[in-house]
Amino acid sequence: MTPLLRQCLLHLAEDHHSLEDYEGGVPRWCNGCGDNAILAAVQRLCRGEDLSLEHTVFVSGIGCSSRFPHYMGTYGFHGIHGRAFPIAEGIKMARPELNVFVNTGDGDCCSIGAAHWIHAIRYNMNLTVLLHDNFVYGLTKKQASPTSPKGLRSNTTPRGSYLDALNPLSVTLGVQSASFVAQAVDWIPQVLYDIIAAAHRHRGFSFVRVIQRCPEFMPGMLDPWLQDPSKTLLLTHENGLQLSPELARIYKNHREHDPLDIDAARRLACTDEEIPVGILYRNPEVPCYEELRGAGQARPADRIRASLEAELDKFTVWPASDERAAA
Amino acid sequence: MEQTAEIQRHIAFHLTGAPGGDLEPVDSAVRPALLAPYRELAALRYDYPVVLVDDATDEACICSLTALVDDLLREGAPRGVEGEGVRRDVFRAEREIRRLVAEGERGTLSDVWARAAPALADAADHLKVDGALADCDHELARRVVAHAWHSVQRDKARRFHADVDRLVQALSDILRAAFVDSEPGRRPESLQAAFGSLHRDQFDFDTMSRLLSRSAPRDELPPDRRHRIESALEVLRRQRFFDPAPGTTLAQSAEPPFEYRYSSCRAAVEAFRERLPAVVEFVKAMSIAELEADGRYVGSQHDAFFEAFDENSLSRDDLARFPDYLVCVQGDESGAVIDLLSSGLPVKVLVETEDLLAPEHFGVHLRSTQLASTVIGLIDVFAFQATSSSLYQLREHLLAGLRYAGPTLVSVFSGPAAPSSDLPPYLLSAAALEGRAFPAFTYDPQAGPDLALRFTVDENPQAELDWPLAPLEYADASLQRVVEQIPFTLVDFAVCDRRYARHFARIPPEHWSDETVPVDQWLALDPADAEARVPHVLVVDDNDRLERLIVDARLMHAARRCRELWHGLQELGLAHLRVEPAPVHEAPSEAVEEAVQEAVAEAPEQTVVEAPAADDPWIETPRCSTCNECTGINDRMFAYNDNKQAYIKDPDAGTFRDLVEAAESCQVAVIHPGKPRNPSEPGLEELVERAKGFH
Repeated sequence: MTPLLRQCLLHLAEDHHSLEDYEGGVPRWCNGCGDNAILAAVQRLCRGEDLSLEHTVFVSGIGCSSRFPHYMGTYGFHGIHGRAFPIAEGIKMARPELNVFVNTGDGDCCSIGAAHWIHAIRYNMNLTVLLHDNFVYGLTKKQASPTSPKGLRSNTTPRGSYLDALNPLSVTLGVQSASFVAQAVDWIPQVLYDIIAAAHRHRGFSFVRVIQRCPEFMPGMLDPWLQDPSKTLLLTHENGLQLSPELARIYKNHREHDPLDIDAARRLACTDEEIPVGILYRNPEVPCYEELRGAGQARPADRIRASLEAELDKFTVWPASDERAAA
Repeated sequence: MEQTAEIQRHIAFHLTGAPGGDLEPVDSAVRPALLAPYRELAALRYDYPVVLVDDATDEACICSLTALVDDLLREGAPRGVEGEGVRRDVFRAEREIRRLVAEGERGTLSDVWARAAPALADAADHLKVDGALADCDHELARRVVAHAWHSVQRDKARRFHADVDRLVQALSDILRAAFVDSEPGRRPESLQAAFGSLHRDQFDFDTMSRLLSRSAPRDELPPDRRHRIESALEVLRRQRFFDPAPGTTLAQSAEPPFEYRYSSCRAAVEAFRERLPAVVEFVKAMSIAELEADGRYVGSQHDAFFEAFDENSLSRDDLARFPDYLVCVQGDESGAVIDLLSSGLPVKVLVETEDLLAPEHFGVHLRSTQLASTVIGLIDVFAFQATSSSLYQLREHLLAGLRYAGPTLVSVFSGPAAPSSDLPPYLLSAAALEGRAFPAFTYDPQAGPDLALRFTVDENPQAELDWPLAPLEYADASLQRVVEQIPFTLVDFAVCDRRYARHFARIPPEHWSDETVPVDQWLALDPADAEARVPHVLVVDDNDRLERLIVDARLMHAARRCRELWHGLQELGLAHLRVEPAPVHEAPSEAVEEAVQEAVAEAPEQTVVEAPAADDPWIETPRCSTCNECTGINDRMFAYNDNKQAYIKDPDAGTFRDLVEAAESCQVAVIHPGKPRNPSEPGLEELVERAKGFH
């Protein structure tokens, strides 16, 4: 028997998946919510890449967007508020071969989870991070989040918020070891898909901020951009986003941007009027923490026990030495 | 007249080997003129002795003492005059170590260092590595090859244990999870055992057991799957191929690990045959474990395959997971060696050649030198040939051969066990390489698509020449300095061996003439011209006096044969120097291919928007953002396609009002209601007005 035939036989039972295989529960998001678009794009990506269900994990914190793992047919971990990153990092360290996605909202990531976020960027572990940014805490019925626009009247800011919004892109680009930063909008599905696909293929911490609509608590906020395609700046490049003729016809405002140019990426991240959409920065050379640390080694129970014993022994006062001391 | 008679006698000696007249037999020690400066090897810094470094992998497993001392001084001795004292002391220690080892001292570097320079024990502490010292003697090849083989096997063992550990862990996890879900796993005592001791008393495990038994779904392992997993685990745990790794889950096997070192080809083959069923069983268990660990084992598809699994199912990659057999034999087992290598078994065969000019078959010892060239014809056998003097320089090739996933021949000229030369073994071995008596070469079947890439003789000195040239510097009769480029030939190598003294005759200096010519020039003459000339070789005696020795015809015949063999190797190994390589259409590199694939994958899908009939409702499906607005209004009229983007499934499944409201609620404005299909629908006028904005 040739090795080739044997390999074929061994791989006989490999599956090919349809989009339905990646569907979990029925989404409870509001109609018109941008989370639906992100879910559809991610499920298409899983099908496109034929990701194995049992080798794919979605990790989230708390918030509307963090219900995401429930709606996927893969493994998932609906974590606690702001702690999606450490959980995902733990999974990656233990099982580096898994496809690990993080779904986090603007409150979850940029407020309570901000410290984890900063260090997750530094670690540059191979995670695909989707920041669902709808500028508001929706699950708690309209409270101001760090990315809420200045002046937003909400349950926590009845006189309007006092501070300028935090910019997740410029923060990410300011952290050492940032390796992939992109921005998408939920209402251009093709571009959303392309950006998430590029993020997934990038080996490292791929941070995608997805600007999304919240028709319930922020109605009309994004209408100017929805109604006027020229206010959306599409960043194209041979190593970045490429537009179909159809999209190029609708979105005439596009610009060549080299994803290796971090200075230009930082300038673009701070653009106010237009929403830059595309891959702002990508550097495949940044090392991944899990590779630096040789993650994924088997940890059988007896080895764990031996390590624990060795650690505990450091602090043990041995009876024999007591006796010797007493003698 | 007298001169002519002398020449006749020289020719007579050359043809018959019978001395006479002014010719004197070579009865005192002589050495090739080019080796004159190398009297006291211990005083020279060169590659030997080497340190066979413990627990090192790659090239670092064989280190030269000189290189280690250089590293030590680079880090430990200050630059310039300040560090001069330290350097001098350490060099003295190095010289002493070299002398001790040459005299037969054995031990590790740290031991011998302590004996050679007790006062410099502190410096020895800074040496980064330690291991047995090995000088270039007739045992070197065996020691170095065994050490390098151990290093490669250690690396293999690490990978093997990592694989096995992972699979054992994965299979154990499956069984453990099954136990937790099973009836016994939910009994109070099992729950208590799994809980730990700290708050054990505060829990009611009976209640917990009742609750769990009622609520959690039971999903027990099917018996055939359990049997399959347990069998595979058992096989993986009691493997005898490598030593059990310390601290792993592998059970200490009751039976000792297999032995993989042999001194005869037949014993190695018998051992391989005997263990083959165990290998088959193990590979089968690993394949099953891989599938089970991934949850991809499908009984209906895989059972039949594994039932028929036997030795024919094994690939070379499978065998490469296991230790290689190391077989060390002498050069006279050539036939058995070729049989063994051609069988394709995972063997590494060391063939040592002790004597190239054995009296019983005088001439270049063809069988041994041709052995390595012969196995090249087997195509997939890695062949490496070297002299013991060049083993350190060529250690990378040696390691490549030992790592090769297939049979490998290592052919080494190791020098005679009983000294037959006044030269140190290192010089004798180096002379064999220099004189083309035992050329070095490497044939790596994996190195490239053609012979020019797979075969290399570049490791030989001045490989493009027939004989390597070196400058000989001496003072002539009038004490004037003379520098000549002279070749080092097979005849120079023969000079080193006392047993061949009878093939030489010394010409007194007063009878030196132009009628005798150097060996290389004589070999280049036409046979007709050569008959009238006599070849000579330059040597020095114990007092470094230059002498000319006449060489007899039998030795010259061997030299000619040796040159022809060398030409054969040159043709193979230096093909790239002579033949203009045909233009190669480069296959796209991996990076380029990836980029292309990425570009293709990232290229936007063709956004084909069906041209709508004039009055029919339609949706720009590729722009749909899946927001559920339209499907929320009427999920029989609006539906999602395979990409989860909306299209109009049935325009008659709802009203025109549904269409207009969906168009109004669609935030990306991709729904076009068209014209009303039911003219009697109430409120149509108003709806048509509202729909105008969406045409």
